[in-house]
Amino acid sequence: MQLNNSRRDMSETQDVRHQAKVSELLADYIPPQDTWNPADEALYQPADPYRVSLEEAQDMQLKAIKFTFTRHYRNNDFYHRYCEMRDITPDDIKTNNNLDKIPLIPDIVFKQHPSGKDLAYWIVGIFTGDLPKIVVEGANPTFDDIVNAFNTKGLAVMYTSGTSGRFSVIPRDMKTFRAAEYALAKSRASMVAQTDDHVLLLFPNPARTNLFIGRVSSLSYDLFGDVHYAVDSAITAEVTQKAMSGNERLSGRMPSSVQSETQQKIVDKTVQWLERYEKTEESIRLGGPPFMLVLVMNALQKDGKRFDFGERGNVLTAGGWKIHENARFPHADFRKQVQNVLGIPEARCLDLYGLCESNGFMMQCPEGHYLHAPYTYLKPLVLDDALMPVGYGEWGHFAFLDALAQSYPGFIISGDLVRLLERCPVCDRPGPVFEPEVHRAKGEEVRGCAEQLRRILSQDLVE
Amino acid sequence: MTQVSEITEQGQTSQELPKQSSLAGGFTFAHMLLKKPGALRKFRVMGPDEERYVRPPREYEIPEYRKGMRCCTSNEPYLRPTRWCNPREPKIIAMANELGAYELSDCEFADAAYWFVKTKLVAEMLPLDSVTATLERGTGTCYHLISLWIALCRAAGIKARYKTFMMKLPDEVLSQEMTEQGAMTANFFNTGTPEGEGEVCIDGNWVVGHVAMRPEILARVGLPIPKLGEDAIGMTFKLVPGTIKRFESLPRRLGIGLKAGTWLAPAAMERANVLIQTEMLPPGRRIIEEAGGIEAYDRKARNVQELFSAEEITRRTKAKRKQVVKFKE
Repeated sequence: MQLNNSRRDMSETQDVRHQAKVSELLADYIPPQDTWNPADEALYQPADPYRVSLEEAQDMQLKAIKFTFTRHYRNNDFYHRYCEMRDITPDDIKTNNNLDKIPLIPDIVFKQHPSGKDLAYWIVGIFTGDLPKIVVEGANPTFDDIVNAFNTKGLAVMYTSGTSGRFSVIPRDMKTFRAAEYALAKSRASMVAQTDDHVLLLFPNPARTNLFIGRVSSLSYDLFGDVHYAVDSAITAEVTQKAMSGNERLSGRMPSSVQSETQQKIVDKTVQWLERYEKTEESIRLGGPPFMLVLVMNALQKDGKRFDFGERGNVLTAGGWKIHENARFPHADFRKQVQNVLGIPEARCLDLYGLCESNGFMMQCPEGHYLHAPYTYLKPLVLDDALMPVGYGEWGHFAFLDALAQSYPGFIISGDLVRLLERCPVCDRPGPVFEPEVHRAKGEEVRGCAEQLRRILSQDLVE
Repeated sequence: MTQVSEITEQGQTSQELPKQSSLAGGFTFAHMLLKKPGALRKFRVMGPDEERYVRPPREYEIPEYRKGMRCCTSNEPYLRPTRWCNPREPKIIAMANELGAYELSDCEFADAAYWFVKTKLVAEMLPLDSVTATLERGTGTCYHLISLWIALCRAAGIKARYKTFMMKLPDEVLSQEMTEQGAMTANFFNTGTPEGEGEVCIDGNWVVGHVAMRPEILARVGLPIPKLGEDAIGMTFKLVPGTIKRFESLPRRLGIGLKAGTWLAPAAMERANVLIQTEMLPPGRRIIEEAGGIEAYDRKARNVQELFSAEEITRRTKAKRKQVVKFKE
């Protein structure tokens, strides 16, 4: 017991030192303290976002979310009208229990943007705050032309990859974006007390895309000495749309299961990178969407190769758990494969759950792999089919109140199904956690008898 | 009362589903079963632990038919009895009179009958049968419900007809959690099964009515409730272009198809019926109750839908804020 306590004490000391080091590396991301608003305080003050006492966190959360809500209520015409329709004002938010009253926007609103020149006006309409003059060039600007026109003026408009081929467009200002990056770094540092010598990310290069999953990892350059991106080509909206939807999907036919040439290049690059550091003593971090990492590991297994990085290796996944052709891959099975093929223990194989619409990230703990919510500035909600909050332990639609979203109303109902627990059943961190497996809600649009029957037949076809 | 035989379009080919789409649907279904032959048993047999469908009690009383009740006896197109839609059945005449036939204006009656069918009957998958059977059960497929509305209007002397179209599954449905099985059936229903509405002729104009979907089902997903005159295409469904058809009588092929489907896959039909009762209606009912009733809910849903629409956001972006964007060609 004494030995375990000593080991734990050492581990906690290591955690604290690591957090301090990360904060130092990210000093440029932190605005001057005398300019902090309550949302800034909730993000930048805690040394560890997952170890704030519940009492202190609740106080921070209320102040932060109320501040941000008030900002959007007063300065965002679209959101103000929504609040009027729902008869809610900032004066109605007095305690943490009142936070449920804040009107939530379905995520589909951010997907329903127009195309062409109207996209620019739509972004302006959704945005909270002052905007610089935006100049869009070209007679027929593309989606990326318009997004880039905002971003060259200091904004950070980004979009998701969107499984349906429709992007969620989120207009961040630079303050909100840097807050998201800082939040991501701190979330990761809380669970992985190690600064790795070499990092390979199987995400799009942040300098060559407006995809959120690519852009948000740009702070890796500030945290790690040697960072490489395996996906180095430009990933535009058009490329993404073809990859994620394609005509074949819209007609219901199955997409090809043949690995693309690009994916093969990524796999080869990753294997070479792993081989380079296999024989060294240096630490490595491999990050990417699960489907890409599975491709890499399957290729290694096919060639009879394996590595033994042990404690000097870290794997971080993000981007959802559908592997090929929408088949899900349980995270537990993935961790076992990582251990078998890369020799990296399960405690060092963690998943990150985040959405383009949110600036808070849920990070798995190494002890139990539950997804911890950053509860000082993000209030997670779970809603039933009638969009009423449910209690802990119930499955429902994930919604959130994001205090860090200063340039758009980040009070959103997502398309994910989650189960929230009051605290982690394994580790000693005090805040709420999600079950590790997050699901997509089946499309909830209404359809007639035909579609209901179709769903039943689909289910019945599963033998 | 002498039952008048059902009359189809005289000297015209009924506007049936395009043969190509029906064949394609059939081939897709056969392909599905070839790939997953074990599914056939599942389509046909309910599991021992599965919840069984229990038809809900009817939500209204059927008035008694009395001799002398007014009804339309014209043999004009759109007023006469047609396949599975006989407006001269006694209980139909009685219900039409109860709803105000020949007392209310055509528009008022069509509206009364519209809301009666829309709010008092509920979806159930079963073969096509008479409008009296539908009225007695209080349930039916969209075609049963549309036929009932049409029969009530025809009984009241108001011309009425069917309108069908192919529904396009939303992009999100086709790609979210789309398993191999889901993709197969998505293709099947995108080619072979229409959605339906009715149309009534008021003051010389055809007016659409989407009676077949209970408000609770729409409320569950936050959609407004179409009124008489509002097309479900666009509001509720996405249209496969070029597929709208209008006809006086339901095509025989539809009845054969539904009957075949019920024979071939009775368990699948029963599961769909259970789903409607247990998962689709209750949450919507709660939402409507919390909103303060159907009208109050609908008002809120329309306001929210308008507020969130891209067109509205773009339009309302104040002129001052729009000026921050300049386009240089």
